[in-house]
Order: sequence, then C-alpha cells, then structure tokens
Amino acid sequence: MLFLMLTFAFMQANAQNRTITGKVIDADGKPISGASITARGAKSGSLTDGSGNFKFSVTPDVKVIVISSLGQLNQELRVGAASEYNIRMAPADQSLDEVVVVGYQAFKRKDLNGATSVISSKEIAQRPMQNFTQILQGKAPGLQVISANGQPGAGAFIRIRGTGSINATNEPLIMVDGIAVASTAFSLLNPNDIETITVLKDASSSAIYGSRAANGVIVVTTKNGKPGAPQVRYSFQRGFVTQQELQNVSFMSAREKLQWEFAAGLTNPIIDSMIVNRRGSIFPSNATLATLNDAQRQGLWDLMADRAPSDWRDYYLQPGRTSSHEVSISGATEKMKYYFSLNKFDEDGVLFRSYRNRIGARLNAEYKATNWLTTGVNVSTAYANEFQTRERFNTQAPWTSVFFTNPYEPVFMPNGSYNFTMTGFSSLEGTLRNTQFNNGLSTFATSFLEAKVNKNLTFKSVAALNHVTSMSEIYLQPGSNLAAILGYNEKTDNGSSNFQYVITNTGNYIKTFKSKHNLNVLVGQEFTKLNFYSYSLSARGFPTASVTTLDNAAAAQAASTSRSQWSIISYLSSVGYDYDKRYGVKLSARRDGSSRFGANNRFANFWAASAWWNAKNEKFMDKLDFLSDLKVRASYGTAGNVPGQFYGSLGTYALNVAYNNTPAAVPTQIANPDLTWEKNANWDLGIDFGLFNNRITGTVDYYNRQTNDMLYSQPISQATGFSSILSNVGSLNNKGIEVSLTGEIIRKKDLKWSVNVTYTNNENIVTSLISDNVPSASNTRLVIGKPLNTFFMVRHAGINPANGRNQYYKADGTITETYSLNDQVLLTGKSPLARFFGGLNSNLNYKNFDFSVQFYYTGGNYMYNAMYQNNLADGGNTSVGFRPQYRDANNYWRKPGDIATMPNLTEASQKQNFTTDRFLERGDYVTLRDLMFGYTLPSQLAKSLKLAGLRFYVQGTNLFIGTKFRGIPEVGTVNRDSGTPVQPGVLNLYGYPPTRTITVGVDVKF
Amino acid sequence: MKKILFTLSTIAVLASCSKKELELAPFNQIETSLAFNTQADVNLAVLGMYQGLRGNYVGGTSNILGDVLADNLIINSLGRQTLTTFGDWRYNGDATVGLFGTGYTIARRANAILENIDKFPAGVFKENVRGEALALRALIYFDMVRTFSKTFENAGANDSTMTFITSTDAKQLPGKETVRGFYQKLERDLTAALPLINTNNGVGRLNKAAVNALLSRLYLYMGEFPKCISASTAALGTTPVLPSRADFPSIWTDATNNGVIFKVLNTTLDNNNAQGVNYYQTVGGLVRSEYVCDFDLRQLYGISDVRTTTYLQTSLWNGVLQNHIVKYAGRPGAVAGVVDAKLLRTAEVLLNRAEAYQRSGDNTLALADLNLLRANRYSPSSSLTLTGAALLAEILNERRLEMAFEGDRFWDLKRRNQPVQRSATTGDRADGTGVRYIRTTLAVGDHRFQLPFPSSEINFNQNFKQNPGY
Repeated sequence: MLFLMLTFAFMQANAQNRTITGKVIDADGKPISGASITARGAKSGSLTDGSGNFKFSVTPDVKVIVISSLGQLNQELRVGAASEYNIRMAPADQSLDEVVVVGYQAFKRKDLNGATSVISSKEIAQRPMQNFTQILQGKAPGLQVISANGQPGAGAFIRIRGTGSINATNEPLIMVDGIAVASTAFSLLNPNDIETITVLKDASSSAIYGSRAANGVIVVTTKNGKPGAPQVRYSFQRGFVTQQELQNVSFMSAREKLQWEFAAGLTNPIIDSMIVNRRGSIFPSNATLATLNDAQRQGLWDLMADRAPSDWRDYYLQPGRTSSHEVSISGATEKMKYYFSLNKFDEDGVLFRSYRNRIGARLNAEYKATNWLTTGVNVSTAYANEFQTRERFNTQAPWTSVFFTNPYEPVFMPNGSYNFTMTGFSSLEGTLRNTQFNNGLSTFATSFLEAKVNKNLTFKSVAALNHVTSMSEIYLQPGSNLAAILGYNEKTDNGSSNFQYVITNTGNYIKTFKSKHNLNVLVGQEFTKLNFYSYSLSARGFPTASVTTLDNAAAAQAASTSRSQWSIISYLSSVGYDYDKRYGVKLSARRDGSSRFGANNRFANFWAASAWWNAKNEKFMDKLDFLSDLKVRASYGTAGNVPGQFYGSLGTYALNVAYNNTPAAVPTQIANPDLTWEKNANWDLGIDFGLFNNRITGTVDYYNRQTNDMLYSQPISQATGFSSILSNVGSLNNKGIEVSLTGEIIRKKDLKWSVNVTYTNNENIVTSLISDNVPSASNTRLVIGKPLNTFFMVRHAGINPANGRNQYYKADGTITETYSLNDQVLLTGKSPLARFFGGLNSNLNYKNFDFSVQFYYTGGNYMYNAMYQNNLADGGNTSVGFRPQYRDANNYWRKPGDIATMPNLTEASQKQNFTTDRFLERGDYVTLRDLMFGYTLPSQLAKSLKLAGLRFYVQGTNLFIGTKFRGIPEVGTVNRDSGTPVQPGVLNLYGYPPTRTITVGVDVKF
Repeated sequence: MKKILFTLSTIAVLASCSKKELELAPFNQIETSLAFNTQADVNLAVLGMYQGLRGNYVGGTSNILGDVLADNLIINSLGRQTLTTFGDWRYNGDATVGLFGTGYTIARRANAILENIDKFPAGVFKENVRGEALALRALIYFDMVRTFSKTFENAGANDSTMTFITSTDAKQLPGKETVRGFYQKLERDLTAALPLINTNNGVGRLNKAAVNALLSRLYLYMGEFPKCISASTAALGTTPVLPSRADFPSIWTDATNNGVIFKVLNTTLDNNNAQGVNYYQTVGGLVRSEYVCDFDLRQLYGISDVRTTTYLQTSLWNGVLQNHIVKYAGRPGAVAGVVDAKLLRTAEVLLNRAEAYQRSGDNTLALADLNLLRANRYSPSSSLTLTGAALLAEILNERRLEMAFEGDRFWDLKRRNQPVQRSATTGDRADGTGVRYIRTTLAVGDHRFQLPFPSSEINFNQNFKQNPGY
C-alpha cells in the first residue's frame, strides 16, 4: 500500500515538472559556460555547460527564470509554453562595481543612494588642461563649471545647485584623498592621476562633511593598482593652441579707422604732423586735414596703413602649444597594490611670452601587512613655473593692448625702439622688461592604517597633509620704460606657504542580520588645521637688468611677513539600514567647531535623513518588461558655510600701518560676537530608472536648497567710519531640476553608439535681506524676490532718427535725450546667473576606431559687454575714439531720417559713452567643448610590436562656439589683477582670452 | 584582543585635541577693548588718525579736484582722460567723490580717541591728545562740509549738511543738520582745541599754529573778519615769516618747512605718488599731463614771478607745446610725485588776513599784507598802492596765483559766490589753440557747486537725504 502511494506521488510530481532547455550566448555570439539558471526566488538551479547549453527543470508555478553570469547583466525570462530558449546576454556595466569613496566610506557605485554623479578617469584623462576643475564642465547635471580665463593653469568656478551665498564662498568643498585642497593647488594636481571624481549634490551624501559642505562636495580619489599583471604605460601629447576668435564683431582696418576719425572730427597728431611735413611739396602750404580733398586724404590713409603691421595680434599673441609626457606603472598582488606616475606638461600660452611648465610624480601604494591590518600611503609632488603677463585694464597688458592699439600704428619707431603708440606705453616692451615669474610646489601625502578587528568592525586612521608653497618674482627692470615713468626700478620677491593637515579616525560596523537586514554604522572624529605664512620683500636701485637678486639693489624698500591660521574640530556619525537591498534609510550627523567664530557660537550641528526604494527586485517589476531598473529616493538635510575671514567676529585695531615711518594703530573691524555659520537646508527627490534592459537609463532629480543666516556684509551708515559689519542676515533659495538620459542606441559586436544628454534648470531667488534693493556690484542689485545680482541700469531707447542723438527711457517710461542716473531701473529677469545648462555627449566605437564628442550649452544669463562698449566711441569722444573701433561704429547717424545704431559723430553732447542696457547682452551659447578621434592598434599587430596596446588619437577643445554675444560669452574673472569678481560672468575686462586647442597624442601600453 | 588594544591606543593618541585649539587670534591686530590701555596705545591711535589723513590728502585727488572743477585746468586731449566726470560737471550719487566715507573713517579715529582719553590722568599728554583729536576732526569735517554743502555765508536757515558725528556707535543712522550749525560746531571745537594742543608736536602733526590757521580759514568762510584777523595774526606771529623768493621752490621739494604750517608726511617708504600722477606722468623723458594750465591763467603768471617756474613748465608732448603743472614733480633724486601734502601755509593765512582786512574796511593793513607777499614772490618787486575794489581784486588775483593747483579754487569761488567761467575760445595747447572745454559755465547758485552724497548711503539710510538737484 505504501509503495503504491509513493509511486503515485512520484509519478504526480514528475508529471507536473517540465524541463526547459536552451543555450546562453554573450553579446558577441560566443557561448557562455557556467552561467546559472534559477527560478526567481529560488536558491539553486542549474548551470550551462561548456557549449552554453542548459537543461533546467521547473515546477508549474514558476513563471520567471533568472539567468546570470559574471560580467553580464542579469536577464529575466518569462517562461511560457515553449520549452527551448536561446538567451543572449549583454555585458554588465563594469563601472557599477567600481568602488568610490563617499562620506568617509567606500561604496560600490551601484550601492550609492543619493544624488551623486560619478565621473570616471576616462572622461577627464588626456585632456590638455593643467587644472582639473576646467575639465569638469558638462560632466554631471547640476554641476556648473565656468572657466576663469584662458591662462595656462587657470581654474574654473564651480557651482553645484546654484549660487547659495553672497559673501561667503560659493565653491564646493573639494577633497582629494581625504584632505580639502587649497585652490592654488588644483593646477598642481595631475588630472591623469585621478581615478574617480564623485560629485555629492544632496544632503544625504554631503551632510556628513558638515560645516563646509553647503555648496556640495567633490570627492577626488587618485589611482591605485588593479589586480593582474603590472601595467606600464607611456603617453605623449602635442597640442596647438590658438585664441578663441571673438564672435559677431570685427575691427575696422587702418584705412577705415582713419576715415572714421576724420568724420568724427578727431585731431590725430600723427596725421597732423604728416600734413605739416608735406606742406609746400605735395600739399598746399596752408593745408589742414579739413582742406584736403578726398583723394589726398585717402593717400594719407594709405601711407599710414603701409607703415603698420597687417595685424597687431601677430605681436601681442604668440602661437600656443602644449607638450605632455607621462609614464605610469601600476599593478597589484595579493598583498600589495601600487600606482606610480611621472608627468611633465609644458604649455606656451597664446599671449606674448606666456608659459607654464609643470612636472610631477606620484606614488600610491597599499599594503596588506597582516590579514587584519592594512596600511597605505598616497604621496605626490608637483612643481610648476610660469611667466605671467599683466592682465589689467590698461596698456601694460598685452591682451588689453590688442584693443587699445590702433591698426595704423607701426610696431617700431624708425630708430628701432618699440613704438609707445598713442597710449603712451608699449606692452611689448613692458612684457619684456617688467617681468613676473611665479613658481609653486605642492606636496600631497595621505597615509592610513586600517584594522579589521573582526568581520564586522573596522577602524581606520587617516593622516593627510597638503603643503603648497608659491613664489613670485616681479621685476621692474632698470632701463625699462615703466621704470623711467615712475622714476625708479624695483624688484619684489614674495611668496607664501600654505600648510594644511587633517587627522581622521573612524570606526565602521557593518553587519547583516537574518540575511536580509543590512546595518552600516559609522562613527568618527576629525581635526583640521591650516597655517598660512607669507612674506614680501622689495628693493630699489638695481644696477642692470641682468642681476635679479635683491642683494644687488642699492636700497631696501619694504620687508613684510604675515601669518594666519584656522582650525576645525569635528565629530561625525552615520547610520544606514536597508532591508534586502530594497528599502533603505540613512541618518547622518556631524558636529563642527571652528576657530573663525567667537566663543559663543563656535559649535554647530549638521544632520541629514534620507530614504530610498530600489524597485528592481519587486514583484510588480515582472509585469513591466520595459522597465529594467527603478530607484526612488528622497533626502533632507543641513550643511554649513564659513566666512572667508579667519577672524571675522572680532572688533580690532590693525597694527600693520605706519605714519612717518612710526607704528600706528587703526580701527579695522567692528565686533560681531554673534557671528555664526551660514546654514543650508536642502531637500531632494530623485528617480533613477532604466528601460529596455538598460538600453536607456536616466536620472531625474528635483531639489530645493535654502540658505539661511546668510553671511552678509550688513551695511551700516558710512557716518560711523565703516560701511558694513559682517553678520548673518538674509536668505537665498535655489531650486531646480536635473535630468540626465543615456541611450545605447547601437549595441553590436563591432559597432557601439551611445548618447547622453544632461539638462539642469536652476532658479535662484533672494528670499530675504536686511534691507531691500541694495547695490551689490556696479550696475547690479540685490532685491527680494529676484535672482541674485539683477542688473540695474538706465535703459537705452535707440537713436533719434531726427537728430541722431542717444535716447534713454526715464524711470517712468517716457523717452528723453538726457542721461541721468536717476533713471536707472531694475531690469527684472536679467541677472548674470545662468538659468539652464547641460551637455550632449556621444561615443561611437567601430572596430578599432573610437570617436567621442561633447557639447556644452548654457543660457538665461546676461552679461555687461564692457569690452564691446570700450571700443565703440559714441560720437567720437577722444578717450574711446582713439582706440580701435568695431566696424559697428560706422553705422552712425548721418542725416535726418536715418535709422542708425550709433549717434551722430559731431555733436559735443553725444561724445559720451554712458552705461546703459545697450551693452547688456544675453550670454547664451553652445560650444563644442571636446571632440576626439582615436584608433587602437589591433591586438595582433600590437603583440607583434611586443606591446600590450597602442592608441593614436586627435583631440580638439573649444573648436566651435555658437552664440549671439558680441565677443566670447564664456568668462569667469573680470581680469586677474582686479581680483575675484562678485559674480563670475558679470563682465569681462580683458582677462586672458579663452583658447582653442588641437592635440595629437599616442598611448603606449607595455 | 591584541588587535583591539592596538587600534584603540593608536586612535587615542591621534584623536586627542582640545577645544583650546579653536581659540586663535590674528597676528597683526589687537582687539578693540585692548587698544587704549596705556599711553603708548594712545600714541599709536593718534598716529593712526594721521595715517588716515595721508590716505586722503596724499593718496587721493584732493590736490587737483578743486582746480579741475573750476577754471584753472583744462583737460589734455592727449592725456589719459581722468576725472572727466568732474571736469564736465556730470557727477551724481553713483559717481561722486569718496570723501564722504573716507572723511568719516578719519573722524571715527579721532572720536575713538576722544571717547577713551578721559580715563587717563590730567596733564599735558592728555590735553595735547585731546587737542590734536579735536583739531584733526575739525580739519576733515571742514573739508567735507565745503565739498558737499553751501558755505556759511551762502547757506540759508534751511540748508542742511551731513551730521557732525562725535560718537563711534556702530548703530547710528544720522540724518542731517543745518550748515550754519555745523560751522558753529567747527568753530567750537577748534577754539576748544587751541589752549589744549602743544605749540610743537613735530613735523607732520597739528599744533597751535595749525589750529589758528584753520580758524583763519574757517572765519573767512564764515565772513567773520575780525576773528579771522586775530586768528591769522596768532598763526603768523607778530612778524610773519615767509620763505624768501629763493627758498620758495624748496617748499615743494620738501627741502624746507619754512612757510609750511602743517603738512601730511609721505615718506620714501610710504612711496605714494598719487599727488604727482594726478597731474602727469613722464613718458620717454617727456611730460604727459592729464590736465594742463588754462590758457588765460597761464598769461597771469609773469616772468618775474617765482611761482611761474616752480608751478609750471612749457614743454612738448606728442609734438605740441603745452603748459604742464610740475608743482608735484617730487624730491630731488627720488621717485617722481612722492611728496608731502602741504595743507596749511603761511601764504594762505596771510592772504586770508589781507582779504579780511579789506572787507572789514582797513585798506592800509590789507595793502601791507599784499605787498609783503608780493615782495617774496616777484623780483623785481614793487609795492602797489591800491584801495577799495581794485585792492580786493588784486588780493584775490594773488590768491588764485598762489593757491593754484592745490585743490582750492572751486571752493574759493563757491565761498565768494562767483560762477565758474571758463574760456570758450582757448584750448589745451600752450598757444591757446587745441581742444576746448566741453562745458564752460557753471552759474552762481547751480546745485552742482555742492557735490552729491553717495547713493549707497542715501539708499540705505532713510534719514539722510541727497542734496537738491540730484
């Protein structure tokens, strides 16, 4: 009886199970062996054999089977009536397994659960820029990068999620291997040494960085060895650099300019003396410019033009070039991994005599001393030296001189010396004889000790330091023109030493309970200190320009040193919990104390809470075939911002002044004992999704960033002897959307094509101020309810066709011909902040060829085009009229009825170039930021050359820019000598021109 | 166990840091509460006041502005086109002089000293410090009020000016007070300072003679001629000592202090050349001026006048002869344009007294003063015999010639209710041709005689209103 029953049960079971068979192949069509086939939810299943075939027995209730293999994306298959299935797998994005450092811990990229963007080394390596911040443009939504200017080594202004502060810094905290790096050291870090750059945008990932994280955090990790055979690499690059041409404008030629000067009634002394010298011979004896006829005048113009160079830029600019060599060796064994690199990057800038050469080395190593103790060190040193041209709004600067030197002036005088031109100074002579050489040396060292106490608990201690020394030698040489003007020659040697160190201790407890509950607890403590020291020495009375040290000078002039420091004590912790990697929450908290505040307000607390839901493994995902990935996340948290002043809360008298060479003391600062942190409260809502087996992936984030207790120079009556007190008043809000979409349009064996589009929209509003409608910079205001630094100026109403006079709108909207500063109005909607920006990137791979292109676009901002105004003389006023003029200046009013853009040239009242919105232009542009063609030698060919790999490539940066702006709309600093602007992009006054580079390079792997 | 001990001890060593690490102080400043503890501290603060004067008088445009605004200077069409907003009278609240903020910054230093000096024991030190602070504050406030507001004689009961601030309170939002009241406060402070201040505080600092010289100028502006005469006499002494004709150029090269009652020092280390650069720069050995001498004024300087060669130089620039102002050329063998700022001279006080005598009816004594000045300026010199309106005109003419290119002319015309009348027919070349003035007339009573207050203050401080007309 029992036997019968058992047999029957057995037969029943057998009758209901069925067997499905099939074959598993990879994207190239090759069979995959060892791939596992399981029923969804089950623990075990079967494996494919050596030919990729499998045989799998399923019970009737199984609807979906999962096929997985190392390095391939998991595939899910709905089991239907058929019994044979051929499954083609797609390669998994290896990068998802990459380890990135976020918030003092290392995570796999796929486990990151916040609004973060990861930029891999491939995207920034081998770009011919000395400062890695410039290479970040367009690489992540929400990350806005405005390059400062085109100088070799120049950095960029970075904004994450808008501009959140008025007086304190707007730059994010940039950590390199565990230490916040001084911005002067960015151009001393070799971008090719960087493994990943992680941009932390929302509070869930950045709050743990606490008091300096209000503007977001960028975490940079340098390379280390990967398991496998040692990789030896050499790469060489050679680039050709030119100035980016000004868009939509052109200058008058020599003849056109002289004709225009004549029409404007300007008396050109050179022309006058030429006429005087020819009186009695070619010209009648009482001839003046007005009495000559047209043909005679044209003859004079021709004479002048012939003496002049065809293009002054041939002298003020030089052909730029870059040249880079790099060697790196990396590898890993069971106990050790290492990465060594040596790099040399030389660049000649586009301005006369400008150059910057950098050389550096790095060694990163990690050693597993015992099975529970690991130690490691990242050390790098870099040295750069450069020649710095003047960069001012006067003719001492070569770039400004391009705009100030008339096309009819000769370069040299008949006696061979430099022509001082009508400006009175030759910047060619100035650049040769008033020199500035700078050099800088930066050392990074991070060392750590990690102890794995048991399988859940790890302690880690990190000590990091960054020491940057820089030196400048500025020589006003004896025998130079400037020395003759000033009456003395002088050399100034100055320098600074910036030493920062950080000691961080953390304990990390990771445990999984009941195989589904994952807990991750981090507790830590950190101490940061910075010591800054600088010196300046100068002396006069040098005998000859060939000696440069100060001991040769007859009279010491000034000797000064100064010192300052700050420090921070921090305590940090975070707790993360997730259930089955499907639902998770995280809480983080940090307490920071800073030396920059008075004793009452030293410490502050920052915290964040976030939650996420990974819907990929949910049951309902079965029904939605097209959706391959879905993650929803939300976070809210606080972060802080510190003032730039180290001692801002104290009321002080400064002692570093003197009268009659005797020490004196002057009131310098008014006390504010309540001075405290600027607080940011940010919340974020985001979705990450994947469609069609991750052929299309994307992220959408909505964020809202509120700055409260803004650090602001609160105005006080100037009658007090001061104009402001640093206080915490006012608030600012940034909100917007970030979208990123990537599509793998073609995914075949020999042809791959993917496109990525990012778009960020940011709306900035001043939400409260201590007093409304205050001027912030020239022509901008801070107004409640409007974006930061909205423009405030008189409106131009065109040229009156009846008489050729400038017309302006009065404040009430009527038209007048009188300019008055009382008619300035707030130009609502016009501010220098960009409203949207983003990029379009595409990669194409065909066999051994690779091609990538990157566009960057931005818009919604307005800029005051001072460089256009300065070369467009209204009515020929002498101060501007004797500069080169744009051809637009020829469109002046001639007779009643003319519709013109420039006023009549002869009326005295029109000879003034006032500031109006006539020169306020939109700063929208699209630029072809990067273009790269590469060819990798087929592996057979490479092997025959005894190489592991060889790649050639041609790359271009800033090849094309499309804009309506008259000039170049991508500007950061006004010019270097006028310091950091209130708002990058408000106006450009002859800062170093942005450049365009074409580079060829070769990468050899041994 | 070993592992835990090892890790915990390493961390304990590295994690030790106390809150004291956060108490950091600046290396070049002291806290305000510690700034007035000893006499040495007070001396530092006193020199700090003068350092402020240096910033304004040596480093600013005070030695040229009053001439640019008036009829002494015409812009060089081939120069760098500086100060055109002022030369063309196109200024307003957004483009005005910085004297408002700078002046109050200097006054605050004096106010801080006056607020703290009382805790020191009575004696010469305390009195002198108080005297210097009162006098210096009056000096800068006088300059401010004559720049921004009507003068005492021209002001009606309703004309207002900024507030005479005497406190360092950072929260005050002052309004305005009457011009006449302001002048009276100046008089009160200067007369209070007179007995307190030392007769001699060293070169570059105020003393009794300087206070009297300031009173002489103040009373002239107030129309108080008898008081002007007695203050001038006190400043000059029984026998006024003027530098001789041979010595006169040395004043301007800082080789002598004879004839200088008060000057703000500018040492070689300070190296501030703004006074020189305001007027010209040397390019290729030639003088390139920003402003050159008005043609009509140039004709008034005769060959026998020592001031002609001291103040002026006719030389080529860009092939054209122009009349350059070389008053601030610099010390011999030193950097061009680096000179002390001579603010109060005996010549000015003498001219004040001469005018006060004439306008109060004493033509004899007025003539005597005029001839004394002339004897030290002209060679051969001859005594004049003038009286009445002709005497006054000659005194004013000498005043214009003496005080030219010191930033005085515009305020002087304003004081005397005269218009600015520039030539409509002469230009910037030495022969009178060249580019002419764009604007030639500023009529008496034009609101632009009072410079506008900065909009930044008007917009912020609701109690403070802009001058009428802007």
